[in-house]
Amino acid sequence: MKDHVLDRIRNIDDLPTLPSVALEVLSLAHQSDVTIQSIAESIHRDPPLAAKVLRMANSVFYRRGDRKVDTLHHAIIFLGLAEIINITTSLSVFSALKSRKTQEVSVRESFWDHSVATGLIARHIDKKLGMRTMGREFVAGLLHDIGKIILDQYFHQEFMAAYNMSIEKDRPMYETEMEMCGTNHMEVGYFIAQKWNLPPYLADVVLWHHQPSQASSREMAALISMANLLAKAAQLSCGDRMSFVLADQEAWKVLKERGLPVDELDIERITFEMESIGDQVKSYISTVMEPSDKEQDNG
Amino acid sequence: MDESLSSSCHKMTDETFILLRDFIYEQSGIYFGDNKKGQLEARLGLRLRANNLADYDKYYYLLKYDPNAARELRSLFDSVTTNETSFFRSPPQIQAFQDKVMPEVISRKEKQSEKQIRLWSAGCSTGEEPYTMGIVLRQVLNDKGTSWDVKIVASDISEKALRSAKAAVYSDYSLRSVPPEIKREFFLSEGNAYRIIEEVRNLVDLQYLNLNDTRRIQIMKGFDVIFCRNVLIYFDDEAKKRFVSQLYDCLNHGGYLFIGHSESLHNISRAFKLVHFPGALGYKKE
Repeated sequence: MKDHVLDRIRNIDDLPTLPSVALEVLSLAHQSDVTIQSIAESIHRDPPLAAKVLRMANSVFYRRGDRKVDTLHHAIIFLGLAEIINITTSLSVFSALKSRKTQEVSVRESFWDHSVATGLIARHIDKKLGMRTMGREFVAGLLHDIGKIILDQYFHQEFMAAYNMSIEKDRPMYETEMEMCGTNHMEVGYFIAQKWNLPPYLADVVLWHHQPSQASSREMAALISMANLLAKAAQLSCGDRMSFVLADQEAWKVLKERGLPVDELDIERITFEMESIGDQVKSYISTVMEPSDKEQDNG
Repeated sequence: MDESLSSSCHKMTDETFILLRDFIYEQSGIYFGDNKKGQLEARLGLRLRANNLADYDKYYYLLKYDPNAARELRSLFDSVTTNETSFFRSPPQIQAFQDKVMPEVISRKEKQSEKQIRLWSAGCSTGEEPYTMGIVLRQVLNDKGTSWDVKIVASDISEKALRSAKAAVYSDYSLRSVPPEIKREFFLSEGNAYRIIEEVRNLVDLQYLNLNDTRRIQIMKGFDVIFCRNVLIYFDDEAKKRFVSQLYDCLNHGGYLFIGHSESLHNISRAFKLVHFPGALGYKKE
């Protein structure tokens, strides 16, 4: 039975869906003649989403200077199209995957903590390495593990068995998932990313964040791979708590091959800096998730 | 005016915190995270008063530009290093030692049919650290413990601290991070105090040792794990490099060095592999 988890996921007809506005914004982003007006109009068609985008634009994560942004139009001018698309994508995914049923034991809290931490750490390293990924690294970090949420939602028992086994036996989640579910969070996540028409770089990161040298967007996959490990080191893990040598990781080698100055990074210092990331993670999550989000789900 | 300022509670701005934090890291390799601002404020507040300064900016300028900066730096280091020590200090490091490092060392030795473990607590102060190492080792080795030859060298430069370590009697405060079951198993209650059990005490070999004494350090060999926490701050850069390279030579292949929880060897040594454990860093000699 466990061999068919991925097949069974393919056949589930109530899989979470991305709001239509998010899909529209993502597809607009690929067009060369996209205008601020068209993006703003598109987001406005989903008023709760528009309100959340504005709130995010004014949050400590995106706000620049003292000036408050009070229209979407302004938000797009101040933050740029790329960031607005990132924010819209993140918010949409959050709302699509937010807790549906209250299960007795759930990894959801640690899932979101880990995901946001990975995004924030990716942003931090991106800056240190001067990679200029324009905020895409944050979304990629946020979404790299979406397969876990799907497994948890539809194959809760098997997934929890894999989760507990990875901690007890000190083994990677993708291995124990394979044993317990016959698939892993990368495959499942990739399936969802394609179903949702997420941009190729995101699908790529979802599939290859444990083997970044296989990815088409190798730099991005490697960056997320590294941020993923550092989030675990900062004790914001969703699964295994394995130790590692960063400089021996595939991600490190990929970034080095691409000419990025990884050897100059002060890894100790970055690690110390990331120890206090928990507060930022909590603040991001409370900005994105309104209390009403949780109540709606119970209906 | 100055008096009222110096007796009031000084506030450190975020900008000055970052300047001071970066300066201290550069000079000492000790990092104060964003969540440690209050701690740094409190500790440097004492230095502000000692120097009769009105604010932290002025203190930063003193450190950076004053001819007497070097002397003040010593006092600064003394005030940022907590001299206090306790059992199971910096729990993620102890956890890494217990869950990852010792099992790895033991399984490697078992494969080589070797049954000897050598640990070193360098700068052991009043003994909490080496006895913690002993307790953990007892737990990891469990029932096969008796067949292993275990020694924990614990050294310090203070005779007074060593006498205290030898007495091995501790207050409740020293044991504040010790889980109750460990307290029951490894300590004997003596009135208000706790004495570490003989079985653990006998694992520890207390020695007077000056870590600056390069010739003495040279003969320290064959260690599997060295704890040298919050000691490096007392060395200048050159001495630090020399000493850390000596520590490297003291370790067996596959051995680990643990330094203070927020201390860094960046710019000091590239000989080790930096290993990330959950919530802790270790330095491995391959």
